[in-house]
Amino acid sequence: MTRLIPAVAAVLVLSPVLREPTSDSYPLSTYPMFARDRGNIHSIATVVERTGDGFERLTPKLISGTDEAVLASVTVSRSVRRGEAEVLCGEVLERLGAGHRLEVRTETLDVVELSVKGSVEPTVTVHATCGGAP
Amino acid sequence: MTQPLAILQGRTMTQPLAMLQGRTMTQRLAMLRILVFSYAAGWTVVRAPHLLDTIDLASRRFGGIGPLWWLDDPAPDLLVVTVVVLTPVACGAAALGWRYRYTSLAGVVGFLFCTTYRNSWGQVFHTENLVVLHLGALALFPAACAYWSIKAAADCADPAAREELAGAVVKALAVLTVGTYFLAGVAKLRISGVSWIDGDVLRHQIAFDNARKELLGDRTAPFAALMLRNSWILAPAAVAAILVELAAPLALLGRKAAGLWSVLAMLFHWVILAVMAILFPYHLIGIALAPLLPVERIGTSVAAWHGRFWRSSRRLGPLRRLGNSKRKGPATARSLP
Repeated sequence: MTRLIPAVAAVLVLSPVLREPTSDSYPLSTYPMFARDRGNIHSIATVVERTGDGFERLTPKLISGTDEAVLASVTVSRSVRRGEAEVLCGEVLERLGAGHRLEVRTETLDVVELSVKGSVEPTVTVHATCGGAP
Repeated sequence: MTQPLAILQGRTMTQPLAMLQGRTMTQRLAMLRILVFSYAAGWTVVRAPHLLDTIDLASRRFGGIGPLWWLDDPAPDLLVVTVVVLTPVACGAAALGWRYRYTSLAGVVGFLFCTTYRNSWGQVFHTENLVVLHLGALALFPAACAYWSIKAAADCADPAAREELAGAVVKALAVLTVGTYFLAGVAKLRISGVSWIDGDVLRHQIAFDNARKELLGDRTAPFAALMLRNSWILAPAAVAAILVELAAPLALLGRKAAGLWSVLAMLFHWVILAVMAILFPYHLIGIALAPLLPVERIGTSVAAWHGRFWRSSRRLGPLRRLGNSKRKGPATARSLP
């Protein structure tokens, strides 16, 4: 019977192969995270603080209440997709405190160009603003 | 898949998995218990602030996944705090082998809850999957018999049966490790096909990941720009990455294969950290690969060192007592032999 233990482990860990590769779960995963070609043009949702002559980026902790950047990104994208950008803006403002002007927005840019050149001019779509004037 | 499974069954598996046979399996299993449960305890302590942050998150962001698929709303705050506090205690106790049958189960349930709960806020992370699988396999079997536990379990089998069972569990842990890598390689081929190796997918993944970090106010990877500027590296890097993943089952073929593949797998994760700033700590520090390696030597080395230290301490005993007697005066000196 003990000889079956590794075989059972193999069946268990390889069982996600029977699912669609993009159908992820936990703890048995298909590990699809780096498998898809994402292309180089992306629309990335984020929250920024408007300042007098521009804007400042906020940390993941301020944006989503946790220190995970990926989770912050998903939180903003979902909120925009579900039409909850204003609600999210209010939540971030609550964490940041009064006297700040925030903007929930999507920046569309060439991510390869950004990495190679260090900066790139994105196309910005604003979904919600909140807070007082900077 | 037939071949790797075939070699894991019946007597035919003795040869391919020869490096996992022998009288040391009980020791290796005990060392794996210490490493994996200690890691789980440490992870929960380090990530406790993040886990507790979820208490303040808006409930609209929650959606249970995996074992918590049935949970539509966040768990009660008290439950989250209790599990976050008790999980490292249970895992620490299991690492020490104290009341292993109960503490290991409590540890794996607590760790599974913590990580699943963390993944139920919109993003499924892939850094703790293997830890959970290893913990589960360790908790199901007596991994605290005889070696390096503060109290050996009372129901330990006789040494021969214990060694056979330990060998099977260590093999299972090794299979879980290589299985996760193999699946990740298969996913790349299933989703992107062989075009994954031309380097473009990797280029876009690295660039996207770093751009997202930059826009979300996080640290970017130190070598991402360098790698993307030297794009000729990307295709060989993609080939190397997918080879490491798909070749993982070969690590079960022998001691040298296991050692070589483990080095490549660790290197793979260090490169991911350098170019994507993605941390797989369980893999980076090598615990994920430990079932394939002679980690029992850590325990035997420590035990040998402890033995030498203890013997020298005993030899120095009279001198030490004499030293004490000089400090404490004649009353203690009378107790000298």
